[in-house]
Amino acid sequence: MTLSRTDIARASLTDRYATGLRLNKEWAAQTARNQPELFPTLASGQTPQILWIGCSDSRCPETTFLGLEPGDVFVHRNIANVLHPGDLSSSAVIEYAVQYLRVNHVVVCGHTSCGGVAAALGNKNLGILDPWLFPLRQLRERNLKLLQSMPSEEAAGKLAELNVREGLNIVKQKSVVLNAIRERGLQLHGLIYDVGSGVLSELDTEDSEEVIRARLTAFHTE
Amino acid sequence: MAKPNINRYLRQSLDHIFQNNKKWVSSKKQTDASFFDKLSAGQSPDYLYIGCSDSRVPANEIMGLEAGEVFVHRNIANLVPNVDLNVMSVINYAVRHLKVKHIIVCGHYNCGGVKAALTPADLGLLNPWLRNIRDVYRLHEKELDAIPEEHARYNRLIELNVMESCRNIIKTAAVQQSYQENQYPIVHGWVFDLGDGLLKDLKVDFEAELANVQKIYCLSPGSNSEH
Repeated sequence: MTLSRTDIARASLTDRYATGLRLNKEWAAQTARNQPELFPTLASGQTPQILWIGCSDSRCPETTFLGLEPGDVFVHRNIANVLHPGDLSSSAVIEYAVQYLRVNHVVVCGHTSCGGVAAALGNKNLGILDPWLFPLRQLRERNLKLLQSMPSEEAAGKLAELNVREGLNIVKQKSVVLNAIRERGLQLHGLIYDVGSGVLSELDTEDSEEVIRARLTAFHTE
Repeated sequence: MAKPNINRYLRQSLDHIFQNNKKWVSSKKQTDASFFDKLSAGQSPDYLYIGCSDSRVPANEIMGLEAGEVFVHRNIANLVPNVDLNVMSVINYAVRHLKVKHIIVCGHYNCGGVKAALTPADLGLLNPWLRNIRDVYRLHEKELDAIPEEHARYNRLIELNVMESCRNIIKTAAVQQSYQENQYPIVHGWVFDLGDGLLKDLKVDFEAELANVQKIYCLSPGSNSEH
């Protein structure tokens, strides 16, 4: 019996898939050996300190590059770490993490060489991705002169940074977050991850008193 | 307002993370000097992983995969709601632009989201999101009601919720069309067991599910000529 091209393609796919499952067994055994307490503790519940909102990009595995363990970071990752005020998925994540898990830090992290950012700096129709990338195009419009004055790689870096700042603003506009900041000192952070070096850097996202007062007046609800 | 000593504690705990990050970078460079140069050239992951936001289920760690190998979306209870633009844009990008070979939906036992969906409580903003899980219960009401023990019923709902997310992925035009042309991606359903760290493969029969889904949701003209 000869194998068809499809059979061969399927066989090699199955091998890659089997690899993932095999590596899981090795990881589980190794983790149980090195940290015998970890799995029994995890089974009893989670108390992460950090909510991480980052990009789906495969080069940005947060728990790995933060050097942290299972149980440390509650995670939402989407295309280009975009936050839409009305997006139920990210809103539910933020609500659950801040209100119920009572995390101490919320991080919005962008990164260099982001495909979503590059798409928003171009003008190609991308179907269903277009409405998702809308906030990036709005930032492009609002900062058009600045972005046009930069070489393309620098412009992409700048738009990634603007997107993190805008994302943080949207997080801070949520009443559940405003309350947690005032009542128990919840901290928010904007980060950029450099995929070319693996290094994280923190943006200065401190707001003026005036901005904070205006935000509280407009967005605080009880 | 927060007390200054709390702020100092929080500050320190984040500084610790930046130190960890530096350690990770140097350990990667030690094993492979060009590790980051390769990553900066672009990504071509074979896998899209859709899992729960739960901190105990980090995608790369449980699969033993490195940076660059798996594209990741995580939300509350690994749902794939048909009208959620967030997850739909992830699937679209992963299939059409990255051409991933496998899509994995990974649930986990002890899922707080699934537990909340079984609880008679008003959770405000979370209600509409979690209602998708109650819909999964309704679709499998007979099977679930026949399980007498509560914990076993809860675990089964976690598995059925993963299967439902798999079906919703198969409904998309991107997946159906790519499969017709390339014989990939293949959709898989897994459940992670927090108690021992092991993944359970629910053994989704992708071709059978595809045929089943396409009776109604076919978005790929000519693909179901054999049925």
